[in-house]
Amino acid sequence: MSGAIPDSLNEQLSHQLSQVVGFIYPNEVETQWAILIVVYPYLTGIVAGAFILASLVKVFNVVEVQPIYRLALLTALSFMLVAGMPLQLHLGHPERAYEIFFTPQPTSAMAMFGFVYLWYLLGILLIEIWFEYRHQLVLMAQQSRGLLRGIYGALSLYSKDVSPEALAFDHKASKLITIVGIPSAFLLHGYVGFIFGSVKANPWWGSVLMPIVFLMSAIVSGIAMVMFLYILLSLVRNEKLDMRCLDKIGLFLLVAIIVDFTLEALDYIHRLYQSEESIGILTQLVSSKLFLSLVVVQLLLGMLLPLLILVLVRSVRFNEELRKLLYFTTSLLILVGIFSMRWNVVIGGQLYSKSLRGLMAYKMEITGIESLLTALALLALPFIILTVLFRLLPPRWMESHAPAAAN
Amino acid sequence: MKLPEQVTRLGIVIAAIVAVVLLLRLVILPETLFSARPHQAAAVEREMAKPLRHAGVAVCRECHAEQFELKYGGKHRNIGCENCHGPAASHAADENAAKPPLPREREACLACHGYDSSRPNGFPQVDPLEHRPRKKCVSCHDPHDPVPPKVPTECTGCHGRIERTKAMSTHALLPCASCHAVDERHMTEPRLALPTKPDSREVCGRCHVPGATDPAASKVTVDLTAHGGTYVCWECHYAHLPEGRK
Ligand code: HEC
Ligand code: HEC
Ligand code: HEC
Ligand code: HEC
Ligand code: HEC
Ligand code: HEC
Ligand code: HEC
Ligand code: HEC
Repeated sequence: MSGAIPDSLNEQLSHQLSQVVGFIYPNEVETQWAILIVVYPYLTGIVAGAFILASLVKVFNVVEVQPIYRLALLTALSFMLVAGMPLQLHLGHPERAYEIFFTPQPTSAMAMFGFVYLWYLLGILLIEIWFEYRHQLVLMAQQSRGLLRGIYGALSLYSKDVSPEALAFDHKASKLITIVGIPSAFLLHGYVGFIFGSVKANPWWGSVLMPIVFLMSAIVSGIAMVMFLYILLSLVRNEKLDMRCLDKIGLFLLVAIIVDFTLEALDYIHRLYQSEESIGILTQLVSSKLFLSLVVVQLLLGMLLPLLILVLVRSVRFNEELRKLLYFTTSLLILVGIFSMRWNVVIGGQLYSKSLRGLMAYKMEITGIESLLTALALLALPFIILTVLFRLLPPRWMESHAPAAAN
Repeated sequence: MKLPEQVTRLGIVIAAIVAVVLLLRLVILPETLFSARPHQAAAVEREMAKPLRHAGVAVCRECHAEQFELKYGGKHRNIGCENCHGPAASHAADENAAKPPLPREREACLACHGYDSSRPNGFPQVDPLEHRPRKKCVSCHDPHDPVPPKVPTECTGCHGRIERTKAMSTHALLPCASCHAVDERHMTEPRLALPTKPDSREVCGRCHVPGATDPAASKVTVDLTAHGGTYVCWECHYAHLPEGRK
């Protein structure tokens, strides 16, 4: 009567079942939220982190990091444009995405997230970039011809006014937007954590600390990404790095890591001390299936080692070349570490049974929609967009083309 | 104060976006997309438009009282006529227009009675290869009052569910008599001579303590003084399916 399951599925099932430890419920064999849902908070985190780094320049007047202000903004934009894609691919109906905005569902955190996203992209990021670049766009439109002239004209919304008062207004406006932007960036990534943190049926996720842990790790990853790009770009273009700027970013990174580490440690200590009934299975999870990705990659390589390096860089007088190398390594380690953290949260939360008596397995697909290749493509896409943005809106154009120094 | 030029321009863009959204929301997109009410109304209409195919037992009864009464007194009392005869609304409306089929093939009965381990404990099941193969079920069982063709002389005839449950359990090989002493008269006038039932932990202990001498003793043993406290064993184990949870 039964037995109508195709062989390939059966094979997959029996393979999955052979990886299961202990007792699980029948519907837990399949991992519902796979690699794309790991990529999504990772990308969003970088957006929030990069923006917060940029806002230091505008709001807190940290002049040292001025050189990376535009880089940070464009990084935030290019990751923002990609951040929603993993979700779209995962849900499989991008053509219905607009319905989220036309049928608001205030009781669903996930549904309202669409608005947070939209607000952040349209209300904050694009407007801030527009004010920042308006002067340059006006000049670029004047100095180029043909198609480019049209593009720059349209991007500048055909505004022409570059009088000192107008420029001063631009400056004020972008400062104001940044002030609104900081809480918005907090909201953006805190919200991702909130969605996980409010799943009360899953003790690995359900924690009030989740939004703030997500936020801090977002800041860490965003700063690390900008640092990485800054060093990489200077290598590619053979430009000289502003070491004061780099050291300052390093300092912010150090502070962010310390706060992040403290919060995550607090989370674990709290869980251990509370010792709720889930602690047994979670301990087993961490010491078996997540050992490599959590203890080794996330904690040792992604957090403690960078922490150690950053402290060393501040206390020992290394020469510039070595410092550059150390910063570069650190930023890479952190980027991998934070990815691992997203993995441990998203996949880890689905690796143990709700019966608290067994562990499942997740086997990543190589091809297909929810697969490794898609994830790699999505991770590469922001860099491609960033390259285009760099061509279109060169961050240092004003230094060489402007009639008089801007700012 | 005069508005700076760039604010006006940005304002126009934002106003245009807002206008497009409002236009879409209020004019272009259909109401059914946002409101649950027209959605439900449409669904109800759609379902109502479908033709009625089932008439229900009560309708059949008006003309087929004989089959109804027969079925009502038997083991198939809870099975609707149209479960076996298929949807018969058109027949009920005009008895000559369409005749419901008579499901005489073995498959029709085996859909419910073929052996399947996921059916509830004690549900009457037969192995189609073993149970009078190839002969039509209806040649021995009346579908409207399915009783075995002859009165069983064993305990099964009256305690079928217990017998069937036990038959699938680890106690399958134990005869009823190993736990119940049955008087002859119970088989004909059951209520006048009730059999005995186990009354102490020792009844089970006979086979489940280490070194038990009973020839049918189990290899699986427990410490009679400690296991399960002072409760009788059947507070926790159903004697006819001891490995299951009670
Ligand atoms: C209005 C009266 C009426 C109703 C209501 C009615 N039937 Fe009948 N049914 C008849 C009559 C009369 C016959 C006999 C026709 C014949 O012998 O040719 C019949 C015959 C049958 C037969 C036998 C067909 C055969 O090939 O011998 C079946 C089965 C049957 N009905 C099932 C049902 C079911 C099930 C229902 C309820 C959904 C039902 N009927 C409702 C009047 C009715
Ligand atoms: C478990 C399945 C089943 C159910 C339930 C059932 N029938 Fe039948 N019915 C049959 C089968 C099988 C036959 C054919 C019997 C035969 O040919 O020996 C039949 C025959 C009939 C016939 C033809 C005359 C007869 O008695 O052989 C009528 C009329 C009928 N059923 C009506 C009903 C009605 C009315 C109900 C509901 C009260 C009903 N049936 C419920 C299986 C069922
Ligand atoms: C829709 C499912 C269904 C179909 C089809 C069905 N039965 Fe049944 N049958 C039942 C149910 C339910 C019982 C009652 C079980 C109980 O008492 O626990 C039952 C009981 C019986 C019994 C009584 C067993 C006993 O313990 O005495 C027999 C015999 C039987 N059916 C034979 C048949 C035959 C023959 C057919 C085919 C004409 C048939 N059944 C079709 C569901 C079905
Ligand atoms: C040759 C006659 C005959 C045929 C054909 C037949 N049975 Fe039986 N059936 C019996 C007898 C006799 C019993 C009493 C118990 C026994 O001897 O197995 C019985 C018992 C049953 C029982 C009760 C089983 C139990 O454990 O209490 C069910 C259910 C049943 N039959 C269903 C069917 C089904 C379904 C078919 C068709 C696939 C069928 N029978 C065909 C004679 C028959
Ligand atoms: C003719 C039908 C019939 C037969 C055959 C039959 N019993 Fe019973 N049995 C009954 C009835 C009726 C009861 C009383 C049920 C009640 O009072 O709820 C009963 C009750 C019992 C009880 C429970 C006594 C109690 O105090 O609750 C046991 C045990 C029992 N029977 C065992 C058997 C065994 C073993 C066999 C086979 C050797 C058997 N019966 C054969 C009809 C039968
Ligand atoms: C391993 C021992 C054992 C065997 C074998 C056994 N029974 Fe029982 N039976 C019990 C116990 C224990 C009770 C529950 C006594 C109580 O609840 O007071 C019981 C209760 C009953 C009852 C009362 C109703 C009920 O379900 O509680 C009936 C009827 C019955 N048995 C019939 C049978 C029949 C028929 C067989 C053989 C097919 C059988 N038993 C085999 C141990 C056994
Ligand atoms: C006549 C001997 C006998 C009596 C009396 C008896 N059992 Fe058993 N029991 C067995 C046998 C044989 C097995 C099958 C296990 C095996 O392979 O040894 C078994 C299995 C079991 C099991 C399942 C063990 C497992 O494998 O998980 C439980 C539980 C159990 N019996 C409980 C009871 C209870 C409770 C009673 C009293 C109502 C009882 N038994 C009376 C012989 C007996
Ligand atoms: C308070 C409830 C309770 C009572 C009373 C009880 N048991 Fe158990 N029994 C259990 C549980 C629970 C298990 C399963 C134990 C486990 O898996 O560790 C079990 C397991 C068993 C087993 C299987 C042991 C094995 O190693 O697989 C046997 C045999 C058994 N019980 C026999 C009995 C007998 C005989 C009695 C009466 C003297 C009895 N039990 C009374 C709860 C109880």
